[in-house]
Amino acid sequence: MSGSSPAPQPAARPAPQPAGQKVVDEILEVHDLVRSFGGVRALTGCSFGVERGSITALIGPNGAGKTTLVNVVAGAIRPQGGKVLFDGRDITGRPSHEVALGGLIRTFQISREYPAMTVLENLMVSPQRQAGEKLATVLFRPGKFRAEERAHVQRAVEVLAEFGLYGKRNDYARALSGGQKRLLELARAVMADPKMLVLDEPMAGINPALIERLADHISRLRDERGTTFLMVEHNLDVVEKMCDRAIVMAVGQTLATGTMAELRGNSEVVSAYLTGGVVEVGAKG
Amino acid sequence: MGVVLGYIATLGVYFCTYNIFALGLNIQFGYAGILDFTVITFMAMGGYMAGVASLGPSQPGSGIYYILGLSLPWPLALLIGAAAAGALGYAVGLIALRRLRSDYLAIVTLAAGSIVLGIVGNSNGLFDGFEGLVGVPQPFAGVLNLSPNSYTLFFLGMCAVIMVICWLVANRIYNSPLGRTMRAIREDLDVAEAYGKRTFRVRMTAMVTGCVFVGIGGVLTIWFITALAPAGWGTSETFVVWAALIVGGRGNNLGAVVGSFLVAVLFNEATRFLPAIPSFPSLIPEIRNMCIGALVILTLWFRPQGVIGERKARFFEVPLRTDSLDLAPAPAAASTN
Repeated sequence: MSGSSPAPQPAARPAPQPAGQKVVDEILEVHDLVRSFGGVRALTGCSFGVERGSITALIGPNGAGKTTLVNVVAGAIRPQGGKVLFDGRDITGRPSHEVALGGLIRTFQISREYPAMTVLENLMVSPQRQAGEKLATVLFRPGKFRAEERAHVQRAVEVLAEFGLYGKRNDYARALSGGQKRLLELARAVMADPKMLVLDEPMAGINPALIERLADHISRLRDERGTTFLMVEHNLDVVEKMCDRAIVMAVGQTLATGTMAELRGNSEVVSAYLTGGVVEVGAKG
Repeated sequence: MGVVLGYIATLGVYFCTYNIFALGLNIQFGYAGILDFTVITFMAMGGYMAGVASLGPSQPGSGIYYILGLSLPWPLALLIGAAAAGALGYAVGLIALRRLRSDYLAIVTLAAGSIVLGIVGNSNGLFDGFEGLVGVPQPFAGVLNLSPNSYTLFFLGMCAVIMVICWLVANRIYNSPLGRTMRAIREDLDVAEAYGKRTFRVRMTAMVTGCVFVGIGGVLTIWFITALAPAGWGTSETFVVWAALIVGGRGNNLGAVVGSFLVAVLFNEATRFLPAIPSFPSLIPEIRNMCIGALVILTLWFRPQGVIGERKARFFEVPLRTDSLDLAPAPAAASTN
């Protein structure tokens, strides 16, 4: 590090030191998460914060623990140590549905649409706490959810139009192409009206044109709705273009956080992450 | 003439009860994807509890022993039977639904069914063991004083009314947000959970509702034949209900209706008209099962979704303003509408 300023810079320091010297509004705080599977130590004291309204990337080599981290944050896996705070509440070890009801929605590494339901229906499942999800209401007071249902249909149709899936709304989701499934995944998440979206490799396996469109959608959602994004991503060009900050993980820990420009100058990151591609990107910039 | 009419009415009653079983299983399997391999146990529970609720107290000298014996009127017996089946479904669900999915869940339900069969069969004081209950009073039989054939017709009417109510309830659930959530859980439980759905609770709702349906069918069964013994609710009977749903089309209540007609009425009954084979008296029921098995295989081979498969959900939409239409991708995809 060539920087001479003694000013606190949590970005480039390894995990142990708790985040938060700078006054930023962090919607998600992760402290010292630990999780192993048998002998594999997937998370070994991972800590970071995600600023409200930001698009933050989570990068790192394969096996760094990114997906495990997403699973722990979203409640799919219980951590063996550490803490997760979302929107000021402790959600450590809470079940997935509680985390989701709190406003944090995650997507999966491979597209997991509801295959035998139509595209429109896929979206109609998402709204949370629907009145018509209670058996007693369904049986004895069907009038209570009709208006709500109509509003959901309307909104779902609008969201589909935003994502260019309007023409596909009555097709089975399984009939969509890989790229359209990615769009559906995001549209479905938007329909849940989340405060924060955690996307696990949203751009995996789709063509560059569609990557651009997805990136536009994500930026637009952040700007229009103020949704915070944390996305696991391997494509560093994409990260560079759309993300405010990146968190680098390696061997189950946070190695560094900062903008891509800062990270490129960080020899620790470069040597840990390093693939040839990263060096090239660094050299060009 | 009266005999033929009575026979047709009997078939009608079988159709109605199997239809109710199939609707119940459809809620569990067709909607929520719960592999309930012991449907018939809940039918037995409903039947037995309705039986002991409407029978008088067990007489010590009669050699027939059972619990309760409340001499209640039939509507209460129906409620008790349905509630008991639902309660058993809840108990099985507590074990099976919390952590297990698909095949492991099926194994647990199968085991639970065997346990219930073992307990009921071997404890004489419960529902008279393997002898079973007999002489269960039929609703309105004492009041109406009809000939057996006329009573069967009357009973068919009663079954039809209950079946229609069950059908309407099942359809309403299917078309509600609750039914949609059940189907989402069937499609992908983890994703539904990640979208804030309380999957355990929703699956339990499907489990218990389905069991209540099957229990109601069981009450009608014990009323109709006035007796029920463990021999009448073996695993092969579960197979008939499953066959009805798979052949008819899972996920579609109309499919459940068609399937119960095809399997429970046509195949079950047509085989009775086969000429008896004196040297193998038990061959005819076996041929029945073989035929149903073949029908299931043919269905899965040539029409896996069943005769009437699940339909696409349609919603009433207000047309979008054209300026907000984004028709960028895949212009070839001119979807119907």
